[in-house]
Amino acid sequence: MEAFLSGVDQLFNLPTLLTMLVGVIAGVIAAAIPGFTITMAIVLTLPLTFTMPPLQGVATMLAVYIGGYTGGMISAALLGIPGTPSAVATTFDAFPMARKGEPGRALALGVWASFFGTLISSIVLIIAAPPLAMIAVKLGAWEYFSLVIFALTIVASLVGSSMIRGLMAGTLGLLIATIGADPLMGVTRFTFDIPVLSAGIPFLVVLIGIFAVSQLLQEVENPEQIKQGKALISSNIDFHPLAVLREVVMQPINLLRSSLVGVFIGAVPGAGGSIANLLAYDQAKKGSRTPEAFGEGCSEGVVASESGNSATSGGGLIPLIALGIPGSAVDAVLMASLMVHGIGIGPRLILDHADTVYGMFMAMFLASAMMLVVCLLSMRLFLKVTNVPKSIIVPVVLTCCVVGAFTLNNRVTDIYLLLGIGIFGYVLTKLDYPLAPLVLGVILGPIAETNLRRALMTNEDWTLFFTRPVSLMLLVLAGVSIIMAIRYRIKHQRRTTALE
Amino acid sequence: MNDATRQARSPSDRARQEETRAKAMGHIVLNVTLAVLFIFLFLRAGSLPSSMWEPLGSGSFPRMVLAALVVFNGLIIATEVRHFIAMPALPAKALTGWCYQHRLAFGVLGLFTLFILAVPILGFRWSSLPFLIACQFLLGARHFRGILIAIAVALVMSFGIEALFRDVFTISLPRGLWN
Repeated sequence: MEAFLSGVDQLFNLPTLLTMLVGVIAGVIAAAIPGFTITMAIVLTLPLTFTMPPLQGVATMLAVYIGGYTGGMISAALLGIPGTPSAVATTFDAFPMARKGEPGRALALGVWASFFGTLISSIVLIIAAPPLAMIAVKLGAWEYFSLVIFALTIVASLVGSSMIRGLMAGTLGLLIATIGADPLMGVTRFTFDIPVLSAGIPFLVVLIGIFAVSQLLQEVENPEQIKQGKALISSNIDFHPLAVLREVVMQPINLLRSSLVGVFIGAVPGAGGSIANLLAYDQAKKGSRTPEAFGEGCSEGVVASESGNSATSGGGLIPLIALGIPGSAVDAVLMASLMVHGIGIGPRLILDHADTVYGMFMAMFLASAMMLVVCLLSMRLFLKVTNVPKSIIVPVVLTCCVVGAFTLNNRVTDIYLLLGIGIFGYVLTKLDYPLAPLVLGVILGPIAETNLRRALMTNEDWTLFFTRPVSLMLLVLAGVSIIMAIRYRIKHQRRTTALE
Repeated sequence: MNDATRQARSPSDRARQEETRAKAMGHIVLNVTLAVLFIFLFLRAGSLPSSMWEPLGSGSFPRMVLAALVVFNGLIIATEVRHFIAMPALPAKALTGWCYQHRLAFGVLGLFTLFILAVPILGFRWSSLPFLIACQFLLGARHFRGILIAIAVALVMSFGIEALFRDVFTISLPRGLWN
């Protein structure tokens, strides 16, 4: 109790509250700009926290983290371009909703879902950190590979009009991920001594190129609209957060299920928000009474994606606090900030620095409340973006994409890749290929390959994938997921035929 | 005149048929090219070194992926050839018309390509400034007020962004050959 009060005391002072507020605002803005990621915002914040007391520094970074998860949704909803990898699934329904004239509703749904997702994950973090962390780190290469297979079955939900084109896009993503150095032996593959390819194709460059460049080129296809000075979304600014709150609260199962998916994926080292949002979306679609409404501006889709990705913030802290293992790049930076202040990370963290840990728990709640207030107050401002003519938005966002792609690794070759992937993405869009499976393939490819090879390196017996209980459970879930997707497709086709 | 042409009574039906045929042609060109590339990569992956420490080696996973891609490409080509044959031939100037309709997208893409190619030579500031002005001009900033806004936006997004990254985030954006 003493440690808890000490943590609260350290947190609730003016300088900490102010830096947290600035952190939330910075996180929201940084993640809202296509090409800028939460990791980038956190890394840029790190040096600024060196002069702060330990808890203030970590709380500020947590504020950036939580603000960032919500900010990524803004460009996903208003521009159709995910601001961060964790907002890919948000584009599926939030953007169509905005296009139908409800950008305010799309943003409000995302804000509330993010808030509840963070809240649920913080509660799980406090209650179940040690046992969940033990489960997460006990997963071996077999379980990781099976988890990836389960995650890959999401492709079936994202394929759009043609199953075969969706599968092709997903597999193409897996291939793109193999370009560059082999993850285990370091041998370069498919680079053909071309300098641009020597470092591989970074996942974020693929994300920016595929979504941003192709989406923006589609925006300027109609010369008549451009001539009239049309904005991206032609509608009045309408933002009623309290009415939308009711809509979100009326989906308790969707909210809870998506948040728990986020917590679990966040707790598994190496996974993270970029997988959680897609997995939560997929589960929501499968569990929905109206799966056909997904992709057309369905509120369940926005709630699932946003609560799922925001819940990974608490999930990622579980192995960090309980075992000293960072779950993602962002958690690794958080860990670095604690170490800079001389706080040893490991299983003894909660015993030796209980006040700091309790302070971090409280900071999660506080940051999510601040995020809610900041977003509710500033969303009208963000909504004004929808009134800016395309002639300004398109070149400005393209420039942001170049800056974002360059600053990822400080490599000019990455912007050449951005151009190439952007053109390829545009061609794929024109031929009705879904882009989300491709991005999913690029995310999951390296995890799948590394763990498949590592598992067989440890033991050549492939039956272990089916005899280890957790691995078997995940493979069964993958099977069920595929069967459900096929069942839905057949049903949907029958209904379409009957209507025709 | 084939069956499909005879059945297409309304202009919208005809337009849909033309679109299906054009897309089928696009698929065939893309997927044949990709299939050839994937077969080449599949053969190439066979020569990647294996390891005595692991049964799979660095070429196995890419080969599995490439084999699947070749199969998917084959299936898409087979489907699209059927669509291509079933639909009536495209009018003579269909491709020109499509390119003209997409002229702004191609214009923006051309400017974006020039911008990216100019970054290592001129630096971020001096390559983004003309790109931003030219792109806004292309997309409709033609009157005095529009041009003034375009210049202001371009200055903020080129010189402003460069200064922000240099002075606040201590990240140096490309400076070009002469800086």
